[in-house]
Formats: sequence, structure tokens, C-alpha cells
Amino acid sequence: MTIDGYTVHPLSFPGGNIGKLAVCGTVNDLACRGAKPLYIALGVLAEEGFDEREFLGYLTDASTVCHRLGIRIVTGDTKVLPRGELDRLVLTTCGLGKTLPGRDLGISNLRPGDDLVLTGPVGLHGATIAALRYGLKSEGLASDCAPLWELVKKILPFPGLRAIRDCTRGGLATVLCEWAEGSRLGIEVDESSILVPDTVSSVCDLLGFDPFSLACEGCLIIGVAPGETEALLENLASSEEGRFASRIGSIIPAHPGWVSLLTRSGGRRVLDMPAGEILPRIC
Amino acid sequence: MNDSAYNRVLTASRALKELADRPLKFMEVCGTHTVSIYRSGLRTLFPSNVSLVSGPGCPVCVTAQDEIDTVVRLAGMEKVAIATYGDMIRVPGSSLSLAQARALGASIHVVLSAAGALDLARRLPDMTVIFAGVGFETTAPATAAVVLEANRYGQDNFLVLNFHKTVPVVLETLAMDPALALDGFLLPGHVSTILGLSPYAPLAAEYGLACVVAGFEPEQIMAGLVLLALQNREGHFSVQSAYPQAVRPEGNKRAKALLEAVFEPADAKWRGLGLLPGSGLKFRPPYSHFDARIRLGLVDFPAPEPAGCRCGDVLTGRIHPSECPLFGCPCTPEEPVGPCMVSSEGSCAAVYRYGRSEFR
Repeated sequence: MTIDGYTVHPLSFPGGNIGKLAVCGTVNDLACRGAKPLYIALGVLAEEGFDEREFLGYLTDASTVCHRLGIRIVTGDTKVLPRGELDRLVLTTCGLGKTLPGRDLGISNLRPGDDLVLTGPVGLHGATIAALRYGLKSEGLASDCAPLWELVKKILPFPGLRAIRDCTRGGLATVLCEWAEGSRLGIEVDESSILVPDTVSSVCDLLGFDPFSLACEGCLIIGVAPGETEALLENLASSEEGRFASRIGSIIPAHPGWVSLLTRSGGRRVLDMPAGEILPRIC
Repeated sequence: MNDSAYNRVLTASRALKELADRPLKFMEVCGTHTVSIYRSGLRTLFPSNVSLVSGPGCPVCVTAQDEIDTVVRLAGMEKVAIATYGDMIRVPGSSLSLAQARALGASIHVVLSAAGALDLARRLPDMTVIFAGVGFETTAPATAAVVLEANRYGQDNFLVLNFHKTVPVVLETLAMDPALALDGFLLPGHVSTILGLSPYAPLAAEYGLACVVAGFEPEQIMAGLVLLALQNREGHFSVQSAYPQAVRPEGNKRAKALLEAVFEPADAKWRGLGLLPGSGLKFRPPYSHFDARIRLGLVDFPAPEPAGCRCGDVLTGRIHPSECPLFGCPCTPEEPVGPCMVSSEGSCAAVYRYGRSEFR
């Protein structure tokens, strides 16, 4: 079971909206534990006067994702708050899923030598929201917001599958740091193997953001036993959400708790978690 | 970075090793350089006798403590909205940061440009919108352009808290510092697109320092360092540009004309350096009614820097961030004590995020 609250400004963005995001986020949280999503409870907090048609549009997108995956929205609650007491709309989704017996996916499974596979480009969701928020035009930039259960279902049979996590808030950097800290092992990553779309790079260059710290909503990081990496990559490549999958690094015994990045310039540095609110720079 | 850029970095790294026949200490002036150097791990490719210290090129970092306090104080006033750049929001003031003031209900808006602040003033006609303008010759022309526009349209609810500073004077101050004993400046790319090359001439001619303007990609920075080492090897010092794509020798005439029209040189307070004559900008009389200090009769109350914080020494290259007793404990990007740990261009933040060198 999982629960998460969703607030995003603006509520609608290229590639999705708060309704789709609220369902995909919870589906992906369940999927990352190897659980087939079955039921969702939906809580709605809306500001008085919120446009009904807009609201129904978000709910329709949420239910479309559920319908596609055979998930039932079984209960819900709606509260309307006086105008000015809430920023338009907040959704909360609680998801219930079913894990396969004996299938445990978690940080404690990681072993030195395991490979790390990233299923898609980084930073698309975060850059899309940042571009909208700061009034930047970026043609072709869209959130990667997507449900990833189908992708996870395909790879669950791999016996060497150790851990899965979606790179949401805090991006790839946060997940890798949490894995290094949680497993008390080191992580080594090659920057040149991480796909950063040009559209994301442009927004990051302009605002001074680090693409590895920007949220993704349709991208997984997977820990896998080294002997199964190639087969896993082949399997992922056959699906829409996994077609850009690549091996980006590995778990190592050295520098436990830390992530080191081999940069595109051939240098080496620490990859750290972003701190606090990500704010644009000055010049 | 593509393969050819990767190869250029490696080639430059080898050239730097050959040229540096003695210990060389350069200062990268610009905060964007600092971040790029750490983010790309370039330091791990330097020969051991080449060292780089960070300079005063992070706009938020050099903003004096009492200036930060002034903007926080204004944020608490009725019918006032503050517009400023993102980096300013989390800088700790003596009592509060702007982010904390915002949490208490102050109206504080992050803008990407001075134009964004003027837009806000148009959208909030019942408020006084105060733009906390920080930055060097890069952001000051934009402030000047916006003030001209506000003047043209009589936008009386728009004021500027002018914290702008200029680069050449502070570099001369650092060039004179015997404790720093620099061998050259890696000069800022953005500022130089405005200024051109001539304002730096005294650094080479009078102080015998190598001066090279560089771009911000790792290979451009390495090319700049190679030229700095070459000038030292040959003992011939001049101002060179390794960034001809963006920097013209004469600079940006239009931006300079804007600066000249709206501002005149003034003394400015710098964190870590105090009051430096002629290192700032003030509004010329026809535009002084946009100066928040004048319009609101503001006085900056002297404010000590946070106890133990050595941002002033960090941003003048006197110490490495890790030599500050607060670095990492308690001062971190999550709980910053000084501005160098806050700003995305601050060298403490860059070292904390990218430079902890367990992997060298």
C-alpha cells in the first residue's frame, strides 16, 4: 500500500496534468515494490470556484490511466475549501497492490558488482514544469509522466533483479544517493551514458539547474545482477517506456555511501542530492 | 560533451602540465566558472602545481549582510512585494531569510530578469514592487533598460533596491593583495561580453598578472587555463580572450550605453571586502526616484556577518571553502549559514555538492 499527495503548478502541462500525475505516481510507487496496482482511493481538495470542466478533465485523465491498467478507483472524498485557503487543487491517491510471493525489491538486495540501468532520459518532467513556471518557451519539451507497471511486469521474472525505483522528486541524483547510503555501498556512474535531452539541457543551462536533480515521472533506475544486464536491456528496449534504457554505472565496494560520477570531460566528482527548493540562478 | 570536446580537455590537460614549470595560482572570478569546474570534475585533471581559487563573482555571495537585512526588512512592510532572483531567497539575513519571510506571509516573487519585476509591478498596481537588483555588469544593463521603461510609462509603484556591483575595481583590489599572490585571473565570460577587454588592461600592465577571458564549457575553461600558464611561462602579460564566440574586444556598446545613461559609478559595500570606492552603481538624478533607498528614506543598519562564517574570505580566494570552520557542519546547502553555501554559484555550495574529493 502507498499514499502520496500531489500538488503541481501549473496543474496542466505538456505530457500530463495533476490527474494523470496523481495516478501514475501511485502506480509507479507500487510497481517499484513489484506490486501489481489493483485499487486506488482518491482524495480531492479543491478551492472554492474551481472550474468544474477543468476538474472533470483531470479526473478523466486519471481514470483513463486506471482503465488501461485495470485499476479500480474504489473510494474517494472531496472537500471544497474557501477561496484563498488553497492553491486551486490538491489530489491525494492511496494505492493498494499485490506483490508476487517471495519477490522482494529493495535497497538491501543490492550487491557489489550489480549494474545500474536507467530506463529513459532524465529531467523531462522537472524541466517542463520549470520552463512553464518561469515563462520559457521550449518547443518539444514535455513531461515523461507515464505509468510504469507494464514495464516493471515485463522484467519481474528476471531472477537477478535487485531493486527498482522511479526517479521522481530530486531526480536521478537523489535515488542514487539514497541507494548508496541505504545499501552502505558505493556507486559509480558514467555521465556520458545518461541521456539528457537537448530540451532539458537548454532549460538547465538557462536556469542553472542540474538535470540529474530534476524530477522524472516516467523513468526507472534498476539494480540488476551483472550477468543479466544485457538480457534486461534487450527486454526493456522492446517497450515504449524502456526504449532508451542503458547501463549507467554499477554498485562498488569502494567509498560506501557515496556516488561518484565520471564526467563527460573525463574528470570525476561526487554526485550529491539537491538541497531544498531548486531556484533559478542570476546570470 | 562530444568526443572532440573530451579530447580537447585531455589535450589541454597535458599542455597545462607541460607549461606549468612552477606552482601557479589563478583565480576564477566568475561563479559560473566555479560551478562548471566542480561539476565537470576538471580539478581532477589539473597538474598538482596548478591551483585555482574562487573569486568574488557570485552576485549573491558578495551582497553585504546589511543589504540582505534591508531587503528582508522591506519584505515585512504592508503593501510591499519583493521581486528578486532565485538565489537571493534562501540567503540568511540576521534574523530571517526571504524564504522564511515568505513563509510568514511576505509577498516575495522569484523573477528571471528585471523585466519580470516590472511586469509584476504592472500586475500588482496596489502594491509597491521592489526589485532587489543584484549582480554585476551582466544584470545591471537589464535593470537600466527596465528603469528607462518604467520612467517612460510612469510606473510609480516600481522601485529598485540597487545592489549592483562592478567587476574591474574589485579585481584590482585583489591583484594588490600580497597574501593572495595570484599569477593570473580567469576572467568572467558573461561580464566581459558587456565590458570587452580594455577595463582589465591595468591588471596585466600594472600588476603583471595574466588575464584570460574564458567561456563556460569545460574545454573552454581548460583552454583559458592553458593561455594563463603560457603567459606566465613567457613572462608576457596581457588580456586575452579565449571566448571570441561571445566576447568582442570593445564589448557590448548598447549595454554599456544603457549603463551610462542610467547609472553613475558609486562606492559599494562588498561582503568580505567592505566599502570599495567606485565599485558600484547609483542612479543618475533623473532616475533617482526609482531608488528604493531614496524614495523610502532607507538606512542600512550595520549588520555583522554570521558568527564564524568566513564567506568573505572564501569569495576573495583567501581560504578554500573547506577551511571555514562551519563548512559541512553546521553550514550545508540544506541549512546554510552564509551565502556562499546558498547560491548555486557559490563556491562553498559547489565544493560541498561536487568537490568533496574522496575519489581523487
